[in-house]
Amino acid sequence: MIIQDNNLADIKVGDSASFSRLVTANDLIKFAELSGDYNPLHLDNHYASQTEFGGLIVHGFFLGALVSRLIGMQLPGKKSLILKESLEFKQPARIGDELLVTGEVVHKSEATRLIEVSIVISCQQKILTSGQIYVRLL
Amino acid sequence: MDKFNQIVFDIFKLPVAEIKDSLTSKDIPDWDSMNYLLFIAELEKQFKVSFSMDEVLNADSLGAIKKMLQAKINL
Repeated sequence: MIIQDNNLADIKVGDSASFSRLVTANDLIKFAELSGDYNPLHLDNHYASQTEFGGLIVHGFFLGALVSRLIGMQLPGKKSLILKESLEFKQPARIGDELLVTGEVVHKSEATRLIEVSIVISCQQKILTSGQIYVRLL
Repeated sequence: MDKFNQIVFDIFKLPVAEIKDSLTSKDIPDWDSMNYLLFIAELEKQFKVSFSMDEVLNADSLGAIKKMLQAKINL
C-alpha cells in the first residue's frame, strides 16, 4: 500500500483524497477482537434483527479507523499526527456496503502546522458519517 | 470580542464569565500544548487571519493573544 508523504507546503485548502472499502462480516469480527467491543448489535444477527436497525451494523469506530487510514496514508500521509476528531454517525453502515471515505482540507494554519479536514463517509451517495479532524504535520 | 470568548470557551472549556486578559496556561487547566494549537488555528479560521510561528510562541496570556489578533484585524 502506497503512503503519501505530503509536507505542509504541499497542502492547500480544497485538496481532497478518498478511497472505497467494501465492508465484510469478517471486518466486524476482527474489529471486535481488536477493540474488545463484542456488542451483539455488531455480531449477533438474531439480536440485531430485533432492534430498530433490523440487522447487524458496523462499529462506529471501525469507520473511525477508516478515517485514520485516510489521514495516515493519504491526506497528508506519512507526516500526520491526529490531534482531534469529531464524527457524527448519521446512518448505520452494514455488511456489504461499499463505503466511500472522503476528506477535504478546509483550513490550514502555517503557524501551528495544523490542517482541518472535513470527513464524509458515504454509501451509494448517501452520507452515513461526517465530521472534522485536526491533523498536525510533523 | 464575543467571538474570541466563544472560541476560548469552546477550546478551553472556560466559562465566559471567568475569561480575563491576564489568564495564562497556568490558570486554565485545559490550556495544554494541543489545545493551544487548536485555539490558534481556530482563531485564524474564524477571524480570517494568519499568525507567524514567533507570534504563537511568544503569546503567553489571553490578553497577549487578543492584542495580537486585534492588531491583525485592524490592519
